[in-house]
Amino acid sequence: MMKTNLPFFLSLLFIGGFFPSFGDEKNVVDLGEGVIAAEPNEKSQSSILKEDEVLNGEKLNRQFSNTLAETLRNEPGIAIRSMGPAPARPILKGLSGDHISIREDGAPEGDLSATSPDHAVATESLTLQDVSVIEGPNILLYSYSAAGGIIQINRNDIPFNEDSLHGTIKESAESGQPGTASSLSLIIPIRKASVKGEIAARKAGNMHTPSGTLKNTGLENESGAIGVSLPIKDWKIGTSFRSFTSDYGIPGGFIGGHPKGVDISLSKYDATLKALGPFMGTKKDSLELTLRINRYHHYEYESNNSIGAEFAVNEENFRAEIKRPKMFGLFDVSYGTDLDLRSIEMGGYVFTPPTSAYSGAFFGTGSFKPSNKTEITIAARGGGAFFYPESSVVAKATEIHNRKYLLGSFAAELLKRVGNGKFISIEFYRTSRAPTIEELYNQGPHLAAYTYEIGNKNLKAEEGYGSEVHFKGYFENWKIRSGIHLTWFKNYLTPRASGDTNWSQLLPIYKVQGGKAIMTGGEISAERDPERGIYFISTANYVRGWYYDENWGDMPQIPPFRLHSELAFKGAKFRAGGEATWNAEQNHVDKYEESTQASLILGLLFEKTWNMKFSNYRLICRIDNLLNAKAYNHLSRLKSIMPEKGRSFSAQFEINL
Amino acid sequence: MSKKFLFICAFAAIIPFAACNDNSTSSSQEAHFEADGWALYNTSWEVAYKVWRGSSDDTLRVNAGCLSEHLNIKFLDSDSSIVNPPEDSDHSLSWTVADTTIFNIYQEEAGWGFHLKGIKEGTTSLILKVLHVDHSDVITPEIPIIVEEKLDPEDCPFQDDDEN
Repeated sequence: MMKTNLPFFLSLLFIGGFFPSFGDEKNVVDLGEGVIAAEPNEKSQSSILKEDEVLNGEKLNRQFSNTLAETLRNEPGIAIRSMGPAPARPILKGLSGDHISIREDGAPEGDLSATSPDHAVATESLTLQDVSVIEGPNILLYSYSAAGGIIQINRNDIPFNEDSLHGTIKESAESGQPGTASSLSLIIPIRKASVKGEIAARKAGNMHTPSGTLKNTGLENESGAIGVSLPIKDWKIGTSFRSFTSDYGIPGGFIGGHPKGVDISLSKYDATLKALGPFMGTKKDSLELTLRINRYHHYEYESNNSIGAEFAVNEENFRAEIKRPKMFGLFDVSYGTDLDLRSIEMGGYVFTPPTSAYSGAFFGTGSFKPSNKTEITIAARGGGAFFYPESSVVAKATEIHNRKYLLGSFAAELLKRVGNGKFISIEFYRTSRAPTIEELYNQGPHLAAYTYEIGNKNLKAEEGYGSEVHFKGYFENWKIRSGIHLTWFKNYLTPRASGDTNWSQLLPIYKVQGGKAIMTGGEISAERDPERGIYFISTANYVRGWYYDENWGDMPQIPPFRLHSELAFKGAKFRAGGEATWNAEQNHVDKYEESTQASLILGLLFEKTWNMKFSNYRLICRIDNLLNAKAYNHLSRLKSIMPEKGRSFSAQFEINL
Repeated sequence: MSKKFLFICAFAAIIPFAACNDNSTSSSQEAHFEADGWALYNTSWEVAYKVWRGSSDDTLRVNAGCLSEHLNIKFLDSDSSIVNPPEDSDHSLSWTVADTTIFNIYQEEAGWGFHLKGIKEGTTSLILKVLHVDHSDVITPEIPIIVEEKLDPEDCPFQDDDEN
C-alpha cells in the first residue's frame, strides 16, 4: 500500500509547484513571555522552534573542542562514540552510523566516519559557524532515517548575503591533550561579489588521563577553504573549495584495537556549486541548486609503516530544492530531489570489493493549520538506492550481486500551542534506510573492531515505525525542552554474533542481518538565560534498546543515563561558573560487551569580552575534569585500558573584525 | 557582462577540475592464504604440535641452553587435511614470543621451519603467524612453551652443527 501511494503523494507535491498558491492564515510566532514576534506567514511554528535550538555564536565558542562530537557533547540526546580523541563521532538517541548523517553547508559531508569507530569525522571544529541537530519531519529532506537525525554544519563557505568586510581570528590551547589550534577567516566584498577565505591548523599531542598518558592519540589537522558568490540578476551564484587533512593515531594493545595501534592519514577535498534564485519567476518562491563533489582518501599505517588499509571515496551529490511560502493550502513548503553517486575502492587488508552506489530521492514537506493553535507538518521521502559491486580477489564471486532498493519514509507532526509560549508536539514516522556497502559486501576481518564481519548481499532495507512527543515551554528567562521517543524496528540492520569462528584469524564471525529491535528514551533540558544574573542549564538523556528476535536482549553501544548541569553568573562583559556531568553506570549491555562504571566530572569556566570600535575580543578559559576523575565512556573502545581525558586547562581567544 | 561571463566560466570549470581528480587506491587487494589449523613436525616427521579450529592440548618443550629439533610447518584445511605453506615471496613466517627472556625462535634461514631456543627455565607462550606483506593471514592460538632445566650444550638432546 505504502509503495503505491508514496510516489503519488510525492508527485502531487512536486507538480504542486506549478499551481498557484492559496491560503492566507496569519501565523503569529509565539515564544512565550520572553520573546513574542510576528512573522510573515512563511515559516511553520515547528521550524521556528527548531531554529531556536541551533548551536552558534557565543554558545558554540564556549563548547570549543578538538572534534565536532566533543563540541556537541552537552546537547540533548547526544553521546560520543570514540576510539581515541580524534575519531569521535556524535551519536543521537542511541543511534549511530548511517542513522546519523553529517552535512556541511547543505551537502553530504562525504567521509567514512559512519562505517567504523576508528574513522574520524573529516571536519575542523574550530571554524564552525553554527551546528544544528535536525530532528522531526525535516529529517526527510535529507535522509530516509526518520528515527535518527541530521547534524547540519554551517560554514558559509559560499558567502551569500555578505556585503561587509569582516573576519575572525581564533587561537586555542589546552593541556589535557597538549596542543594548539589557530584559524583565520575573512570575508571580502568586491563590488557585487563576496569572497571568503579560511585557513586553520591544529596540533595536539597524546591524551593525558588520570591513569597516565595514552600513547598514539595525537592529531594534526590542516584545513583551508575559499569561496565566492555573485548576484546575477535575481540569482545568487557561488562556488567554494575546501580541503581538510588529518594525521591521527589510534592506540593499540586492547581488545577492539589494532594490536600495536595504527596511524591514520586522511584527506578530503570538496567543491561546491550553488545557485539560488526565484522559482517560476516569483520571488517568494525560491529554487536552490547544489552540486557537491567530495574526494576522500584514507590510509591506515601499521606499526611497521606499511599500509594496512586504504580507502578512496568519490562522491557527487546534486540537490534541487524548491521553497514556497504557500502551496496547495500548505505553508512553509519545501520539495525537491537528491541524486547521489558514491564509489568506494579499498586496498590493503580490507575485504570489501570496489563498489559504486547510486541513489535518488524525491522529498517534500509542508505544514497546515487546522486551527489557530494547531499546526500539522507532513513530510515524505521516496526513491531508490542501487549498488554495483565489482569482482575482486578478496570477495567470493557468489557474494557479489547488484542490489536495488526502493525506499520510502514519511512523518507527520502535530504541534499544539497549549499556552502562552508552550507547545506540545507528537510525531509519527516510518523510518527506513538502504544497507551500506560494507553491510552488503564486506567479507573479512575488521581488525579495528576485533571481529570478522561478513556482509549479506540479501539484506532487506531497514524499516521501522516510531513516535516522538515533545514539550517546549518559554517562560520569563526560562526555556524547557523535553521529549520522549520510541521506535519499533521491524528490520534493524546490525552485525550479530553468528557463533562461528574464522579459524585463520581466530576471530568471532559477525554476520550482518536484519532483526527486530525496540529503542526508546527521552531527554529533558531546562535553561535559565537572563541578560545578566544567574545562568543555569541542566540536560538529561536516557536511552534503552532491545533486540527481540527470539529472546529479549540489550542492544550494544547504548549510552548510559547522563546529566549535565551548568551554573554561571553573567555580567555585562564576563561570565564565570562551573559545570558538572554525571554519567550513570551502564549495565544494560549486549552479550559480549563490558559494563561501564559511573563517573562525575566537574569543570570551571570563565569568559570575558571586550568591544572596541572596529573589533570584538573574547577570551574563554576552562578547566575540564577539575578533580582529575577517572571517567570512562561506555561508547569508547579505549575504556578497557584507560579512562577519558584527565584534568585539562584550556583557553580560546577570538578576535572578530 | 564579460566579468559575469568569466565568473560563470570559473564556476563551471570547477566541475571537471574536481571530477577528474584521480582518487583511487594505491595498494591493491590481494588474495589471502587461509587455513583452519597448523601442524608442526619434527625431523622424524612426527607431530610435535597440532591445532585445528582453535583446539589443541599440545605443548612444546625445550631445555634452557639448548635448541629444539627443527620444526617444519604445515597447515590444515577445513577437512583437517595437510596443506603446504604458501610459496610466493609475499608470505613469510612471523611470530610473537610472550617472554623472550625464557625462550626465542631460531632460524638458520627464512622459511617455514624453526627451532626453539631455550634461555632460562620457565613457562611462556608463542604465537605463529603467516605474514602477508604487512598483516597476518593466519595465526595460531597461544602455544604453551615449557623451558625445562638448563643443560650443558654437550648434554642437549638435539645438536645443531651450525649453532655455536
